[in-house]
Amino acid sequence: MDEHTSSPGYTAKNAVKVAWTLMRGYRKGFILAIAAMLCATALRYLVPLVASGTIDYALADSNNSGWVAGIFRQFVERTWLAQNLWLSAILMIGLTVLSGIFNFFKGKLAATASDSISRDLKNRLYDHLQRLPMGYHDKVESGDLVQRCTSDVETLRLAISTQVVEVSHALILMGLALPIMFLLDARMAVASFVLIGPIIAFGYVYIKRVRHLFQQFDEAEGRVTSVVQENLTGLRVVRAFHRQDHENGKFSVPNRDYRDIGLKLIRLMALYWSISDLVALSQNAIVLGLGIYLINMGSLSIGTLLAFIMLLNLVLWPVRQMGRTLTELGKSVVAIGRIQGILQQPVEEKHIRELPEYGTGHIVARDLTFAHAEGEVALDKVSFEVKPGETLAILGPSGSGKSTLMHVLLRLYDYQSGSLTFDGMEMRDLDRKWCRHQFGTVMQEPFLFSKTIMENIRLGRPSAREQDVARVAQIAYIDETIHQFPSGYKTLVGERGVTLSGGQRQRVALARALLREAPVLLLDDALSAVDTETEEIILSALRERHGKMTTLVIAHRLSTLSHADKVIVMDKGRIIQSGTHEELCKADGLYKRLWHIQHKTEDLEVGA
Amino acid sequence: MMQVQEDTFHDRLDWSLWRRVFQHALPYRRFVFGLSFWAVVIAVCDASFVLVTRWAIDDVQAATGDFSVRPYVLTYLALASTLAFGVWSFIVFAGSLSHHMSHDIRRVTFGRIQQLEMAYFDHRPTGWLISRLTSDCDKLARIIAWSFLDLVWAGTLITAISVILLILNLKLGLIVLGVVPPLLIVSSWFQKRLLLSSRATRKYNSFITASFSEGLQGLKTTKTFLREEANLREFGGLSEKMYQHSVRNAIQSSIFIPIVLTVGSIAAGMVLWVGGGNHLQGTLTLGTLIAFIFYAGQLFDPINQIAAILVQLQGAQAAGERVLSLLATEPKIFDSEEVRQRINATGEPQPGCAIDGYPDKIGSIEFRDVAFAYENNDPVLEGFNLHVDPGSTVALVGASGGGKSTIVSLLARFYEPSRGGIYVDGIEYRERSLEWYQSNLGIVLQSPHLFAGSVRENIQYGRLDATHEEIEAAARMVNAHGFIRKLENGYDTDVGEGGNRLSTGQKQLISFARAILANPRIFIMDEATSSIDTETESLIQKGLHAILRGRISFVIAHRLSTIRSADKILVIEKGKIIEQGSHSELISRKGHYHALYTRQFRRETEAQVLDRVGG
Repeated sequence: MDEHTSSPGYTAKNAVKVAWTLMRGYRKGFILAIAAMLCATALRYLVPLVASGTIDYALADSNNSGWVAGIFRQFVERTWLAQNLWLSAILMIGLTVLSGIFNFFKGKLAATASDSISRDLKNRLYDHLQRLPMGYHDKVESGDLVQRCTSDVETLRLAISTQVVEVSHALILMGLALPIMFLLDARMAVASFVLIGPIIAFGYVYIKRVRHLFQQFDEAEGRVTSVVQENLTGLRVVRAFHRQDHENGKFSVPNRDYRDIGLKLIRLMALYWSISDLVALSQNAIVLGLGIYLINMGSLSIGTLLAFIMLLNLVLWPVRQMGRTLTELGKSVVAIGRIQGILQQPVEEKHIRELPEYGTGHIVARDLTFAHAEGEVALDKVSFEVKPGETLAILGPSGSGKSTLMHVLLRLYDYQSGSLTFDGMEMRDLDRKWCRHQFGTVMQEPFLFSKTIMENIRLGRPSAREQDVARVAQIAYIDETIHQFPSGYKTLVGERGVTLSGGQRQRVALARALLREAPVLLLDDALSAVDTETEEIILSALRERHGKMTTLVIAHRLSTLSHADKVIVMDKGRIIQSGTHEELCKADGLYKRLWHIQHKTEDLEVGA
Repeated sequence: MMQVQEDTFHDRLDWSLWRRVFQHALPYRRFVFGLSFWAVVIAVCDASFVLVTRWAIDDVQAATGDFSVRPYVLTYLALASTLAFGVWSFIVFAGSLSHHMSHDIRRVTFGRIQQLEMAYFDHRPTGWLISRLTSDCDKLARIIAWSFLDLVWAGTLITAISVILLILNLKLGLIVLGVVPPLLIVSSWFQKRLLLSSRATRKYNSFITASFSEGLQGLKTTKTFLREEANLREFGGLSEKMYQHSVRNAIQSSIFIPIVLTVGSIAAGMVLWVGGGNHLQGTLTLGTLIAFIFYAGQLFDPINQIAAILVQLQGAQAAGERVLSLLATEPKIFDSEEVRQRINATGEPQPGCAIDGYPDKIGSIEFRDVAFAYENNDPVLEGFNLHVDPGSTVALVGASGGGKSTIVSLLARFYEPSRGGIYVDGIEYRERSLEWYQSNLGIVLQSPHLFAGSVRENIQYGRLDATHEEIEAAARMVNAHGFIRKLENGYDTDVGEGGNRLSTGQKQLISFARAILANPRIFIMDEATSSIDTETESLIQKGLHAILRGRISFVIAHRLSTIRSADKILVIEKGKIIEQGSHSELISRKGHYHALYTRQFRRETEAQVLDRVGG
């Protein structure tokens, strides 16, 4: 991982601080949830006490009964209770119901708080990612970003909703059980807790040690998936060479690995569960043994033993999980660090300045220089001028800096020196969004969202009417194609809908850009995948709009450029030729050569 | 990115389906027996702990004078050790069963996918098939192994507790068991809702993931069209939906658990009330009363488990159906019975003879009155006829969608004609062995696909037993040797997943080497040069003559250089040959081909001039 994505090693303390900040607005709910849990637990503890007290006071014929029976004595007559045992039954049920109600509030409050936090965090991450500069996105891997925004957020959500709650639960259980137990009988209380510490420690250490195996297991699964994926994407190659047997053999290795690591993991987990079961049951045996012994000695009541066994069962299960929970909680520290790694990146800054919605589209570049990184000059002292309504064509081999020029104009990247003005204002000092608002753009490989075609075109101007959409679609010569789809303009684009060809995508993107009605139209090799006949139809439609908007056209083919007012020829980030069509045709150089080809082909001979 | 969520919930359990899934467990019978045995042992232990407690309490009450706690503690510990050992064994057995089964199901499913014809894949997205092979297989195996275990355990435990309760005290026993039916009903009602809401949560989670990656892919578009706010609004809708489902799930379980506990406490309370009365009348020992209170609390765990399993089985039925139906799909392109008999009869083939008994050579190829339509679509080809002489090169040109790719797919026997036939030296190719026929093909596709691994392994894919010298010779022949040697580790360089560490041109050169290493009798280039740069194209061009020599070649191409050298050029439109002849014949005819050629010539020359600029 490089410096752009990771943030300095997060300590647990930092992580807690960040988590606390993220909980802003939901802290009250979360604290209430813990309070509700406290009440629920306390009430549940009373149930065994009721059973124990009833047995000791009303049923067992011993004089040695604990303080619980003493409390009973305060309220009811022994014989009366013995005849009206339903009261104890109702009490037990009532306490359980009451505890259940608190439990419900705990569950609801904790889920509302933690899910709200995760939802807000996801929204924040989504928004932040959109506002980070392109320079950041060029350096990071998008798969990793997605992972951080989904799995890491989920890890954090689970930490808040489950692990923190579970740890609090265990603490509350022990915190309440300890005093009750000590009040009941100190000797028994000590005996009840001798093995609790070892269980937690064992769980923590064990899970921490086998954690790498879980990771190996996930990785093995990943390898299975990638072989399957490769096989399916390369299906034709497999068939073409009749390599089915070979593929079966190739698949068997990761498939076997996945199974074997799974088997290894299951053996280790079996050991973990059986040992912790044994320890927990031994804890029970100790309590039972000592209890019986003390009863025999006459210093413990049966009811108290019953209460101890029931209380121990309440405490034991959540506490056994503790070791595991704590290691899980450890993961969330890493997750928070990774999330913060994104949120701490500075976003594109804003310049507030009162400007009319649209400018006129007068662009002047003077010695414009831009490098993606130190020493990688992409634009080298580029100068040109385009007046409102003019068309500037940019010609050059791939890698000559044409697309970079477009990106700099759109303020996706910041130029380092020279000047670039829009309507006389230095673009660096203008608000990025205002700048972008001035352009309708078609990229070389246009991106369409997985929405309907209508929605994709409307991206250009969300308020556009359907007739407007149809009109620009006609200019882009895609209207007819769209009507051929069963659902017309409502056809979904992408994997869940139709897959458009490269040429169709370019034409939809052109319609989208035209709908924008911005002062400047940017076409970055926008018709490269469109066949020649269609291209000519679109170009003549565009020519009719000539003069209405400033147009910058990048192309590989001269036919696309011939109606330009000015042409610049670029190579290696520099302008090597510029002028009008007529001027360039006269001067020796690339343009002239291209022009000749264009005309020579008219009288093409066999085997040229 | 978004995966079609088609998990449905079946209200009825289809036992025959699960029986068929369970057949995959049969090779591992010993695990099934082992885990059943231990599940029973554990259930009995679970039920016995309370009996030890009861025994101890009753004894201590009756005891006078000397009393040792040792027998009770030792019995308890013995039970505990048996249980711990049992837990270890059943986890190992169930885990092994699950992993072995999912391994096996995955293996046979993968194998079946290798056999199915290309048409099967036309309407099934790769992502869909991947989840069948990964998550579905795991899910089925896990459910079979663990549900089976839990069913045995829970069933035994409930039975054991019931028997003990009824023997100890019939009336109290019936009171406690009275809570079983309501518990079962409440439990399955909630389990179903929990399953549905957690599934909905997962569904929205996958939408959110898709939305994140789409947002990143389309970031430039978002920025240039100022879509930030609108995107965030849409995303906020998704994350809100996920929030709602997730909270609903949490609320359902926080209602569910208190209800179960309450039902349990009703049983315990009733026991205390009725049993306490009995005790006072002297018909019930205190130990038995306490045992009943414990059992009342112990019952709901197994009942919950059973309810959960039934619901899980209902939920996973769709996965089971998908995997089983994939396994049950018979390949449509395969050797006929007659061909298979001939292959068996031939045994070890004579020199010059193929495994199916016919001559091991391919001279001429003929399409006779071939018709073809993709599934439920209009015919792409009808009455198509073509004769190809030994060693000649055929170029197919024309607008996309005209049927060029279909012709070569039929030739490669990826699909078979729906009418008419394709004849190899006069024998219809369906009378030949599929394996023999396809191993005589060398195909280079438009977008070159390489497999993860080294350059050498990828070329070797063409002929698995090729020596290093042969691999290098193939690479030299297509002019790939030069760039390969310059790679970091030469022929041992890792090409990355899907060959992504190489450029498209480099990948295409390697796929040419791979095809030529197989020394195929039929060579097919399907738009093989259209997506590569001019430099690579000229490298291929130089080697092309050697590649095409001495074999039948079918070439679909845009590039003129490739087309010009063909012996026969076919202009295909709407599944018909509208012009055919050699390059010079067609040019002088000034028809479709002439127009096509002129346009393409202009494009290519312009591109060449541009590429040479500054040089």
